[in-house]
Amino acid sequence: MSLRTARLLTGTYFTLALVAVTWPGLVPFARIRPLILGLPFSMAWIAAWIAGSVIVLFLLDRVERRHRPDGGRHEAGGSD
Amino acid sequence: MDQWVVVTIVISAYLALTLTIGLLAGRRSSDSVTGYVAADRSFGLLVMYFVTGASVFSAFAFLGGPGWAYSRGAAAFYILAYGALGMAPFYWIGPRVAELGRRHGFVTQAQLITGRFPSRGLSALIAVLSLIAFVPYVTIQMRGAGIVIEAVTDGNVPLWLGALVAYGIVIVYVLSAGAMAVGWTNTFQGIFMVVIAWTLGIYLPFRLYGGVGPMFEQIAEARPELLVPPGLDASGATWTWGAYSTFILVSAIGLMMWPHLFMKAFTAKDDDTMRRTVMLFPTFQLFLIPVFLIGFSGVLFAGTPPSADFILPFMILETSLPPLVVGLFCAGALSASMSTGDALLHASASVFVEDGVTKFVQLDEHRQRVLMQALVLLTGATAYYFALDPDSSLVLLLASAYGIIAQFAPPVVAALYWRRATTRGVVAGLLAGTATAFFFWQNPALKPLDMHEGIVGLMVHVPVLIAVSLATPAQDAEHVAKFVGRTP
Repeated sequence: MSLRTARLLTGTYFTLALVAVTWPGLVPFARIRPLILGLPFSMAWIAAWIAGSVIVLFLLDRVERRHRPDGGRHEAGGSD
Repeated sequence: MDQWVVVTIVISAYLALTLTIGLLAGRRSSDSVTGYVAADRSFGLLVMYFVTGASVFSAFAFLGGPGWAYSRGAAAFYILAYGALGMAPFYWIGPRVAELGRRHGFVTQAQLITGRFPSRGLSALIAVLSLIAFVPYVTIQMRGAGIVIEAVTDGNVPLWLGALVAYGIVIVYVLSAGAMAVGWTNTFQGIFMVVIAWTLGIYLPFRLYGGVGPMFEQIAEARPELLVPPGLDASGATWTWGAYSTFILVSAIGLMMWPHLFMKAFTAKDDDTMRRTVMLFPTFQLFLIPVFLIGFSGVLFAGTPPSADFILPFMILETSLPPLVVGLFCAGALSASMSTGDALLHASASVFVEDGVTKFVQLDEHRQRVLMQALVLLTGATAYYFALDPDSSLVLLLASAYGIIAQFAPPVVAALYWRRATTRGVVAGLLAGTATAFFFWQNPALKPLDMHEGIVGLMVHVPVLIAVSLATPAQDAEHVAKFVGRTP
């Protein structure tokens, strides 16, 4: 996957997440049942978007890393 | 032995351990300003992860979180929702900020902003706004520590003494070791906090209701309005979607703009460390789930705490847990308070000296460090004074602190990403945004759609920044190129 696509998809995920946990995206999911793992539905819904963001950032990082020549290991120094 | 004696012994042992870790860490730091403010840019993944997590989760999350779940129900979910959103942009912004820090020697947020937009007035304005936002935040932490200690020792250790001892220790290690001590003590406190929260969050629902599911089934029967977003407001009426949504938005925008968190970008050892911290941060966010479970477990429990914020210590004491567990819980709550308080004290002094004082007076490195340490004491003493005032309306101030802090986002984004932005545009935007936020904080009845005043401020801030920038001459292209457009 190209860097551009990966960044675009990540941006899309977080935009969707913002809509999903606020008005109006949360309105259809603002209910109690079914309980998910014992939690009210809306609470599990929000938690799922957070869990999803870990996966999305992990995948993004894999793509970003492949496109960095030094693998991101830029040691401190210079101005100190 | 009385319960409170055992509890006091556990707390003392915890505090002694924190102090030891803080002082030992300080021996690894160099005696320079970079050493004190940015820990010689040396933090690896483990420390960065807990520094970030533990400084975000404060006494507000540990005591206020259950308090909100208990009294306002689903309204508390906003605290769960914003963290991952606010942190994600830092995957790109963080390494960029870190690179500029290494190249130009920046150790604070204002140095980055005024590096691009040179203005002593802007620097001083950011320093003053930071300090205004910091003092109530530190006060809440101190008061939280004092309240917990007073509650679990049956009043044998009063609030003034508990807060004084806990923060006496924080000040000793922040003074002696700066960022290095904050980093290592936060690692210890962060682990402690997570373990305590999960243990209690699972234990209480099982003990009282026979499980998490059964607990919510019973609440759904008795108080269904508590479990449906946007939950309730402080008076018990249904909260508005406008307020719920903009609380998430302003907190997400404000989160990484808090100077004590933003400055972490300068303490990371390398860019990979920072990116992985951002990646893992949402896992820390999920720690709010057990915290909310603790609050919800109090909903159908007979008896009422003196105020919603006391629900956590109240549940611990009312369910007759062994004194050792009560002591450990208390240490967890202190961790939450102290790990944020130390970062705040450290950052407020660093920001005030670096961005306020040294822009106007020449000071050598040694003097700067001494002055920062004096300011840690002064900020601590000011916050302590307010913490003892039982009628202090500082909880209200804290909510609007996010409104102020969110106003730092447009200058940071403009500095890094918008070539055409000018110094006058940024200053005008910041003044207009802050003034708007302040106005609506003073006149909450006028807020459109019940939106958070910080968001209304941003709605004025961004257009002003853009309009004034376009109306003033563009910056020198060579200067702009140092900040915008380089791939990190």
